[in-house]
Amino acid sequence: MRTSKSALATVLLLLLVVSSSAYGESSCLVCHNAMSGTSTTASGEVVHLEVKMSEYEASVHGFMACTDCHQSFTENPHMAPEASVADSVKELSEQLGSKAKVDAVAYSACSTCHYEVYEQVLGSVHGRNVVEEGKSDGALCLDCHGSPHTIVKGEGSPVSRTAVVETCGRCHGSEELSEAYGWEGHIMDSYMESFHGKKYTLGHTKVPTCVSCHGAHDVRSKDDPSSPIFGTNKLTTCGRCHDGANEKFVVSITHQPVGPIPHYAEKGLIVLLMSTIAFCVSHVVLEAFSDIRDVVFRKEGSGHDQEHA
Amino acid sequence: MTKSTHEEIPQEVERFDIIFRIQHVIMFVTFLLLAFTGWGLKFAHVDVSNWWIRVWGGAEVAGVIHRVAGVTMILDFIFHVIYLAILFTQGKIGFRKETTIIPLPKDVLDVMQNFAYFLGLSKNKPKFGKFSYAQKFDYWAVFWGMFIIGLSGLALAFPMAATLFIPQGITGWIWQLFALLHSDEALLAIVFILFWHFYNEHLKPEVFPMSWLWVTGMMSVEEMKHKHPLEYEVRFGKGKE
Repeated sequence: MRTSKSALATVLLLLLVVSSSAYGESSCLVCHNAMSGTSTTASGEVVHLEVKMSEYEASVHGFMACTDCHQSFTENPHMAPEASVADSVKELSEQLGSKAKVDAVAYSACSTCHYEVYEQVLGSVHGRNVVEEGKSDGALCLDCHGSPHTIVKGEGSPVSRTAVVETCGRCHGSEELSEAYGWEGHIMDSYMESFHGKKYTLGHTKVPTCVSCHGAHDVRSKDDPSSPIFGTNKLTTCGRCHDGANEKFVVSITHQPVGPIPHYAEKGLIVLLMSTIAFCVSHVVLEAFSDIRDVVFRKEGSGHDQEHA
Repeated sequence: MTKSTHEEIPQEVERFDIIFRIQHVIMFVTFLLLAFTGWGLKFAHVDVSNWWIRVWGGAEVAGVIHRVAGVTMILDFIFHVIYLAILFTQGKIGFRKETTIIPLPKDVLDVMQNFAYFLGLSKNKPKFGKFSYAQKFDYWAVFWGMFIIGLSGLALAFPMAATLFIPQGITGWIWQLFALLHSDEALLAIVFILFWHFYNEHLKPEVFPMSWLWVTGMMSVEEMKHKHPLEYEVRFGKGKE
């Protein structure tokens, strides 16, 4: 029985493969679902071969055919590129050479559906890093959202409220990139130590994350006058949560390290703290010992009682 | 309140009236609420804080508890000062070195005398008035806390109102200072209460598990004679034993 069942399955599968002229998801995934490990292209780029069918189908893109994005692959996969790539996608893919080294067409294909968002990204400090400066550091779709094969909505997404700070921190917490781009040191630490960051850690549902103040797809450099945290723009940005935010208030929200006055004031307080603790602890301990001593060795009682006696 | 030596000496005397006792209850209830919720925020990065803040209803609710308790404590404090002023104008309290809460040079001498006694260098304990130096320390610590933690807390809770009082030149660092002052001084207050107040009023062998004075307001004259001999002398005369 088992043999005949699996034989039937094989026949059906072959029928499916042969009949599927569009090379839709099922035929690609027949192999890629079962594959594991990586392959290296001629230019030395590492490609992950596995695409889990279950994950893909559960993702927001699960309804799409592979070739909707991987437009250069057609009937003879991997062999006949440039088959039917849309002009706009092709044009974009040529700009992304520095970033998308494996399949720039697929990397650009997001723009087919997410056109406006992609435009914002390309104009953002992230996108310009790639298309204008020709670097690969600027975050594009996959860097924040993860592989399009596994994108889900809500919990589990790397850009969900609970994960987005960690996602930004993958680059913005990096010493290497901080140095290369001259960011204020320890951006992530200063957020985590702020009231915003602490409440975020504790699961506050309204406290701002990175994107609340800096924006997401259209994120700008802090030195860009159109950034929501540039100069007086902060009045509006902070004012979204803090009614009546004024110039004296908005300076309080910063990634700047602690200045010298608060730093030394804190040092002074620590000295006060330690000396108070030292006094209290030594007083309590010595008093406790003297009470024990009085009970054990001086049964007559304590000092002033003797005086009265 | 008589100072006559001819009158009958009562079994016990009222040390704190009901108004003071209520002030004290409000003070310690708000203190505990502030300490419990603030601790979780100060140490948010520690894993257990997440659970601890959920115990208090989550970050939003804990924040509301903290603010309400903070404002209540400040009002309690202000009321205390007003109440003292009322008692003073009515002549019910006055300054007398044996009964005052105000620190005096004698308190420093008492500290040295007590340490000498602890170390066996002196046979005699210092003789205290109505308030020993330990109690004065406890009392004035609240004023210090109110000044540092209360003011910085108000500024952090009501920042837009605070900007009315903050001069332009110091906005670059004053907010960081407020945050540091508030959290460091709060830690000091908690540690101080744990070591000083809890030992002196709860763990000390003669009071364990606690002195009931905070509920009844009454202290036995026997205890007064033992712990506050100078107050006893003022009230009931030196010769009476």
